[in-house]
Amino acid sequence: MQYPAHLDRTFRALADGTRRSMIHALARGEARSAGELGRDFRSAQPTISKHLKVLEEAGLVERKVEGRVHRFQLRQKPLEDAARWIDRHRAFWNGAVDQLDRLLSEVARDGNR
Amino acid sequence: MAIVDETPVMVRRHLAATPQNVFAAFSEPRLVRRWLTPSPDITLTLLRFDFRQGGTYRFGYELPDGRTVIVGGSYRTIEPPSKIVFTWIIEPPDEHAGIESLVTVTITPEGTGSKLVILHEKLTRPDAVARHALGWRGALDRLPALLKREQRPHGL
Repeated sequence: MQYPAHLDRTFRALADGTRRSMIHALARGEARSAGELGRDFRSAQPTISKHLKVLEEAGLVERKVEGRVHRFQLRQKPLEDAARWIDRHRAFWNGAVDQLDRLLSEVARDGNR
Repeated sequence: MAIVDETPVMVRRHLAATPQNVFAAFSEPRLVRRWLTPSPDITLTLLRFDFRQGGTYRFGYELPDGRTVIVGGSYRTIEPPSKIVFTWIIEPPDEHAGIESLVTVTITPEGTGSKLVILHEKLTRPDAVARHALGWRGALDRLPALLKREQRPHGL
């Protein structure tokens, strides 16, 4: 199924501290070049390029080529999809346990009659 | 970056009922039907409910907009009155269909009542990778501006 495979790529891309920091650096919305990101992270350019490639394949960043400069911009949708998947289950269980709490109170009341 | 020691979904709650009664809410169909839904306007139909180790279940959730979401799975571990482990898979055509996640319910005595902990794991495959660096959720948390999405009041 296509959608879960997409979520897999998102979570795999997010399962690395450097890549999460890079997402954070790009979160202001401005496109940054690989060189700028390399300076920020004090990492060798090949390392930065490798991380950017993983993020790009996961659809988390978009590459824009301007002459010799490659600029990278964050794409929000995969992050929103990942967050929605988690939120959906958090909301489910919070709501269900609220209802369980009420049900158990009712059962206790009925039992005491 | 700090590794965030947390699982995507964990709910803890003190309940004013004995562990036996809390366990019964998971094991007895007449009780399950009354609470295992995210909100009162989402109704649950037990399409299949075979509560035993290796047994399977299929829950039909009818949403206020008329859609039905079906969730199924199997009971991996049942240890009355303290532990239940089951798989949780949403069926097609849902956007999240086919992902096999795992729910662990732990019930322990606490004061005159019980402590209920629900852990929903493997939401983030590939978990072998993600669980070693669970900070990804921290990453999402640090991006509030980015995550200005509509808030869903309830799951499903």
